[in-house]
Amino acid sequence: MREANRARIVDAVKRYGGLTQVELASATGVSTATVSTIVRELLAAGVVETHSTSRSGRRATRVTMARQLGLVAGVQVGPRTLRVALSDLALDVVADQSMPLPLDHRVDTTLDRAALLVADLLEQVGADDDELLALGLALPAPVDGATGELALRGAMRGWEDTELATMLSRRIERPVHGDKDANLGAIAEHDLGAARGRRDVAYVRIGHTTTAGLLLDGNLHRGRGGTAGEIGHVQVDPSGPVCRCGNRGCLDTVVSAPALLGLLRASHGDLTLKDLLLRAADGDPGCRRVLSDAGRAVGRVVGDLATTLGPEAVVVGGELAGAGDVLLEPLREAVASRAVRTTHGPVPVLAGELGERAEILGALALARRQTQIELTQGGTTS
Amino acid sequence: MTRSQPVLSVRGLHKSFGPVRALDGVDLEVHRHEVVALVGDNAAGKSTLAKVIAGVLTPDAGTVVVDGKAVPPGSPATARSLGVATVFQDLALAENLDVVQNLFLGQELAGKGGLGLDEATMENRAREILASLTSRIPSVRTPLSALSAGQRQTVAIARTQLGDPKVVVLDEPTASLSVAQTAEVLTHVQSLRDLGHGVILISHNLSDVLAVADRVEVLRHGHNNGSFTAAEVTHEAVVAAITGATRLRR
Repeated sequence: MREANRARIVDAVKRYGGLTQVELASATGVSTATVSTIVRELLAAGVVETHSTSRSGRRATRVTMARQLGLVAGVQVGPRTLRVALSDLALDVVADQSMPLPLDHRVDTTLDRAALLVADLLEQVGADDDELLALGLALPAPVDGATGELALRGAMRGWEDTELATMLSRRIERPVHGDKDANLGAIAEHDLGAARGRRDVAYVRIGHTTTAGLLLDGNLHRGRGGTAGEIGHVQVDPSGPVCRCGNRGCLDTVVSAPALLGLLRASHGDLTLKDLLLRAADGDPGCRRVLSDAGRAVGRVVGDLATTLGPEAVVVGGELAGAGDVLLEPLREAVASRAVRTTHGPVPVLAGELGERAEILGALALARRQTQIELTQGGTTS
Repeated sequence: MTRSQPVLSVRGLHKSFGPVRALDGVDLEVHRHEVVALVGDNAAGKSTLAKVIAGVLTPDAGTVVVDGKAVPPGSPATARSLGVATVFQDLALAENLDVVQNLFLGQELAGKGGLGLDEATMENRAREILASLTSRIPSVRTPLSALSAGQRQTVAIARTQLGDPKVVVLDEPTASLSVAQTAEVLTHVQSLRDLGHGVILISHNLSDVLAVADRVEVLRHGHNNGSFTAAEVTHEAVVAAITGATRLRR
């Protein structure tokens, strides 16, 4: 009973970032007296911290998760969503928030919002501004590591030729390290998810577009200007439509949010990616067909990638990976029939374990990694 | 969405206040599972339209049909029973009451045998509704006065979920909210859509509107001045329609 209550209280504190003891009692259904006792125990064990605060004029004790050495922040900018999270250096997320974004959102507005959300989350967990050590920024296009500029034109309208990491860094007055979302997803699945213990991994991210993050011998392979793994721009049809990048018949013209939703417009009207997944899960045949064809198209490209790189595993993530086997099975079959047949059998194609949290966790991991490098080199953190 | 029967259909609404033509022949359709944003300058007629749909104002001419049934003019209670739930700008919440009491204000559930109130059921239902909106209000027994502006908006939106609405009308839900609170309210709007409701979102903020809307309807001086699919329209095209740089008629 005591154990269960303790777990419930820790869960509630994690979920809301920070709560007063009275709110904790109400959120968990545990009596205020018991909450108070358990919080004292957790405080002694170093699991939580308490801060004095006031609620509607009355003094109250606010409970948050304990943090050692400070916090790192992660920001993931997507075509239609902004995610922000704070974690300690053990990558335990202490607070997070996501926000829907308009199509072709503007770089200045979105980075402003990201900075304000980070400040808001810091306040939510009762942290001082100087507890934040660094921020990792996940972007939906290849990022030139040196400057934080996007290395592919047409991927994010109006975001080109801007030093994005510098721009956000100026707003939050902390070091910001940016990378492509798939690269960060690869790191997260490697450190915490489906690719644990493997050294050569291709993380394939199927979302609004298709891209990949490549781990070679345990290290991220970023390539020239961060452009490695852009499998969305492998040509699949020489006479296909012109892609946003300027080439013809890229995988992106076949498997991307506009391409897939366009296939359904005449029969199903205007859908979102989430609608597509929900309807496929409900058994809608048209939606399932679109997803399985998408899986097959991506699988053919990933099969060639597997022949070239010989990875130990392919991990599939991104919004569309949420569709499950309806997409993964055809992808798996296409990889198996396309890739070179070796004595080791077909390369395992695994569903990511971190789901939609992979990239933001990777952004947090990137911020942590950079902070630790700076600490060991004796550099400053501001 | 599939072009089924619209869940809300507004035809030829006219409403004048003395010499001011607040609504001058407005048409509007909303389908299930669709967020329709209503944008326009001050005095374009957005809030008047919301009030007519909610049955608060009686139009001079025109009809409002919900799910095939005509809403009789000037009857908020009937509009509500036909499935129109509205959150006005002032929210109409009671500061001194907690979240559960606010949700069930005026529609409390009676206890067994008609004695007292069924607090347990109301509290559970309140928790369910807040969870379905992915709300982060920790306790349903928190008094309103202790909640942030964004959380109050959440409570007002949650209140629309009692009594199975078909159309939810939100009048400026993100006005004067912080970015984090706006993020939360926009997430609720997406949840309402995922629950299958038709949603009318009235807002000044184009960035918020284009983040969650399926369709954007522009009102200018009381008439329709453009209808856009949110996935295809640019910010500039909507601004042009709002300011009258592009015109649909006259």
